[in-house]
Amino acid sequence: MTDVHVQERPARTRTALQIVDTDIHPVILPSAQRARMSARWARHHERWGRRTPHLTSLYPRARNKGMRADSWPDGEGHVPGSSLELTQHQLLDEHAIEIGILNCLNAQDCFDPPGFAADLNRALNDALIELWLEPEPRLRAAICVPHDHPELAVAEIERRAGDPRFVQVLFPAAGQEPFGSRRYWPIYQAAAAHGLPVAFHTGGYEGHRGTGWPSYYLEEHAGYGVVMQRVLASLVCDGALSAHPDLRVVLTEGGMAWMPSLIWRLDAAWELAHDEVPEIDRRPSQLIHDQVWLDTQPIEEPDDPADFVRIVEHARLEDRLMFATDYPHWDFDSPARALPRSLSKEVRAQILGGTAAALYDLEAAA
Amino acid sequence: VIDCDVHCQPDSLDTLLDHMDPYWRSYVEDATIALGDPGSYPPHLRGDVPTSAAQLTALLDRDGTDLAIVSCLALDGVHRHPDYASAVARGLNDWMRAELLDREPRLRASAVVSTTDIEAAAAEVERIGEDPRFVQVLLPVRSDVPYGNRLYNPIYAAAERRGLRIALHAWGRPGNAPTTTGIAATYLEDYVSNAHVAQNQLLSLVAEGVFTRFPQLGVAVLECGFAWLPPLLWRFDKDWKGVWREVPWIKRRPSEQVREHVRLTTAPGHLPPSPKEVAEVVEMVGPDLLLWSSDHPHEHGPAGAPLLSSVDAQAAAAIGSANAAAFYQVAA
Repeated sequence: MTDVHVQERPARTRTALQIVDTDIHPVILPSAQRARMSARWARHHERWGRRTPHLTSLYPRARNKGMRADSWPDGEGHVPGSSLELTQHQLLDEHAIEIGILNCLNAQDCFDPPGFAADLNRALNDALIELWLEPEPRLRAAICVPHDHPELAVAEIERRAGDPRFVQVLFPAAGQEPFGSRRYWPIYQAAAAHGLPVAFHTGGYEGHRGTGWPSYYLEEHAGYGVVMQRVLASLVCDGALSAHPDLRVVLTEGGMAWMPSLIWRLDAAWELAHDEVPEIDRRPSQLIHDQVWLDTQPIEEPDDPADFVRIVEHARLEDRLMFATDYPHWDFDSPARALPRSLSKEVRAQILGGTAAALYDLEAAA
Repeated sequence: VIDCDVHCQPDSLDTLLDHMDPYWRSYVEDATIALGDPGSYPPHLRGDVPTSAAQLTALLDRDGTDLAIVSCLALDGVHRHPDYASAVARGLNDWMRAELLDREPRLRASAVVSTTDIEAAAAEVERIGEDPRFVQVLLPVRSDVPYGNRLYNPIYAAAERRGLRIALHAWGRPGNAPTTTGIAATYLEDYVSNAHVAQNQLLSLVAEGVFTRFPQLGVAVLECGFAWLPPLLWRFDKDWKGVWREVPWIKRRPSEQVREHVRLTTAPGHLPPSPKEVAEVVEMVGPDLLLWSSDHPHEHGPAGAPLLSSVDAQAAAAIGSANAAAFYQVAA
């Protein structure tokens, strides 16, 4: 035995987190999903499959199925995101990520029967605990919910809310109705009551975008930022934010540079039309500042890095942005390189870790 | 001053029927069809759309406008019957020529066309485009099929041949939801959505290679705002660098193509509250891309600092008239 010199920690003041990754995509393989589903729905899963058309086959990703080329694990049936070991190695260790938040997208596009949706999401959360959260203390997770079936989604939130490793509730960016719609309000109430932010993540199954269907992945992908603008516009205009002042919203993987123009547009439209919606009690810019956070991925890269700073200032986003890698997807952002040097040291530190630590009340793993 | 978006409309469908095949008179009268059903447009925001050259003359005098491009949105509500849409389009174009352009020399016009009969639309562009006072082809920004689709080739070919620009104007195609999840429940959200639909159209136009196929084509985005453009292009350029293999016909950065081929009108501006921020927005967008517009008679509220007084004199001159003069090849 050697003498262990125990360094005294600062008296329980929390160590500032340097790097938090707010968007990691674990894949729960179908076999692992079925193993945790009820016999009724596991059989359905096996014999009838899923109802949703696969966007990845409608808009084939240009290379590597849209994944980082180096993210394919060894082993039969494995796909990028299905291996904890590889994720630990090439994400958490390599990039010194202290806390990572898992957003499992396996049920984001679930248009299957309500019972199936509820059972699948429960199984995903069980699998996240067993396969990811138990073995790796640096990880946290979003609660997967059957978002289009609010009473079932609320039940799943109630089931998980006591587990501090679940730090938010996961939504896609498109469902069966605009997300400001009252249909979804019970879910927002339950999340807010438990202090859990609701994260809207790019994806899910979208109708077309008001123009007819695009032809290419380039359009589909470049337009995801526009879809995220639509999510926020609905949350504001349909009154969901003003009706739930304790609701905190995170917009994930939709980029962020569009925020100032949307805020100005909403404010101007609200000045013109606020008597149409007198229930909206604050200017949209104020509602958004009070209740909305964004992750930075895929980070926009203006030719002039000074423009990035302008965007942050124009929308008062200094303490509203949270870094994310989007591992293992192809447009991965690295914590060492993604944020432009034009940002001040303080703002960079907030984006890389401080803001997420505050929003999610995170502490570094012991 | 060149005003690139002033609205006009005949006072009734009856005015147009003189310009249309007699079949349509009985069709219209039997079905009691009105022109330009305002649909869900809020009654108190409709304003008085000019219906005559005299009204437009008074407007130009009042505002000190040297040249105005009129756009008639009356076709938006009658698009689905392809033959009827073509007939009304032709009637509207003839009406604009005879009743407006011939009576007020400071006017230029947007040709209207059906979007459900593309061959007929192209033929109409060829026909009416012979008159140089028609400077663009008006399409509703909300479409059934995105405007980059090759379906529209005949319209673009005709427009290019006749030297007309393409204009995508806010609204249109009633019944088409502007969102991925359906109809907007409020006017507020619907109104905000035009900017999002316009962004999707620019993605389509570039990704499908329209500006490669039609190198002389220009597209004006009317009444959809413009502050959203820089972030869209940053993302578009970045994505293209990642997935260019999918669209090998795109040889130049999307932003370069947009800057060369696309212009945007200034009303509604939806601008930030401080003049300093407005100037920064205009600098990021590029003052050369903006076309001055009043959007008369529509009301967009007082929000944001005024545009022209927030930018330097050179930018103000470009936005006020020089950009439009160059883009439309018109002289005030």
